[in-house]
Amino acid sequence: MIDVSSSIACPECGQLHRYQPIAQGKTAMCKRCGSVLYRNRKHMLESVLALTTAGLLLFFLSNLFPLLGLRAQGVEQDLLLFGASVAFWGQGYHLLAGLIVLNTIVFPLFELVSLMIISLTAKYGWKPGLAIFLFRWMREIKPWGMLEVFMLGILVSVVKLGDLATLIVGTAFWSFAGLILTMAAASSMLEPFVVWRMLGHCKERQHAVTT
Amino acid sequence: MQSRHEPQTAREAGLLQCRTCGCLSHPPAQVSKRTIMRCPRCGARLHLHEHSNSIEITWALLIASALLYIPANTMPIMSVYMLGSGQPDTIISGVFHLLESGQWPLALVVFAASIVVPLLKLITLSFLLISIQRKSRWRQRDRLVLYKITEYVGRWSMVDVFVISILVGLVQFGNLARVEANAGSLSFAAVVVLTMFAARTLDEHLIWDISRKEEQH
Ligand SMILES: [Zn+2]
Ligand SMILES: [Zn+2]
Repeated sequence: MIDVSSSIACPECGQLHRYQPIAQGKTAMCKRCGSVLYRNRKHMLESVLALTTAGLLLFFLSNLFPLLGLRAQGVEQDLLLFGASVAFWGQGYHLLAGLIVLNTIVFPLFELVSLMIISLTAKYGWKPGLAIFLFRWMREIKPWGMLEVFMLGILVSVVKLGDLATLIVGTAFWSFAGLILTMAAASSMLEPFVVWRMLGHCKERQHAVTT
Repeated sequence: MQSRHEPQTAREAGLLQCRTCGCLSHPPAQVSKRTIMRCPRCGARLHLHEHSNSIEITWALLIASALLYIPANTMPIMSVYMLGSGQPDTIISGVFHLLESGQWPLALVVFAASIVVPLLKLITLSFLLISIQRKSRWRQRDRLVLYKITEYVGRWSMVDVFVISILVGLVQFGNLARVEANAGSLSFAAVVVLTMFAARTLDEHLIWDISRKEEQH
């Protein structure tokens, strides 16, 4: 029987490999499909913590100040991040309003908070229960947080409105751009395989739990 | 378990591989289709390949999105009212407006994200499903890359929905100028959401899922 604790399977194709520790800065790859199995990053947890702290700050700035403003005939109209969803709600499209709040506010915040709790748990050896729960759902939810897609939407809107009225780029626009960069950096910095090993080991001859 | 050679994949070794945390575990002695198995480390659901209904669920989601793709593209997604008179826009007429105002790079981006990507997703996922059902060994690595790309680009189609929400939120100047959302935006968002779910439910391991026994024939 195969020793489960020292074997790992490629996340993409299922190919089995024996786990071997690798030097700092090195990457282990699947021999069959070439996918990355794990990396050994320098100061991984510290970097993730710093980035998520900055990310949370930028998140609040992005939500408190207007993203864009529009001036026409002396009247000015501001748009908050939340306002994009309110707009749909006001027109009776409640499902779309809900979807947009999830995509631009709830899921990104969930990811930031989860990243922070997971790296704190791994760094200080806290009880892993909550971090395991959050990490599991964070990976499921990740594609549904769509800050960078929303940013592209802002750019398209700016061009569309360009010759209609005077456009004002708000404070939140810049913090929003910063938030996208920090979150991308934080989540690419976190090495899933390494973090999962820190949160819990797979014991030898372990059985799946049945309910 | 096979005796003649070392097992290559977790599946051949009779192991369950958690898709969330990567943990390997042994299935219990008796597994029926109704047994719910969970990963010992992270608690995510585990499935035996022969009990997986990934293909059926993905087909159902794909068919639903293909049907919704028609109203999403023919119904107006928003209307722009200027000085009282307005005109509804479909996705494609929105692209034409961008072209008319000389914004062809942006027109290209919106065209790709809103029309090409959803259509390509429908085609690619169907192709992958059919090739899996036929147990094809053709270019497994390339098909995995194709799957990865499809999974990644899908969310960018949401850009049109966001543009509508920004315009509706920003352009509210009464009779002077105002933007309203139309029902097409709902079917369009549904296509994006359903194809994203379809990409998620398609189990990419099935691309590699030909046991060595079958390979030797
Ligand atoms: Zn592999
Ligand atoms: Zn797991």
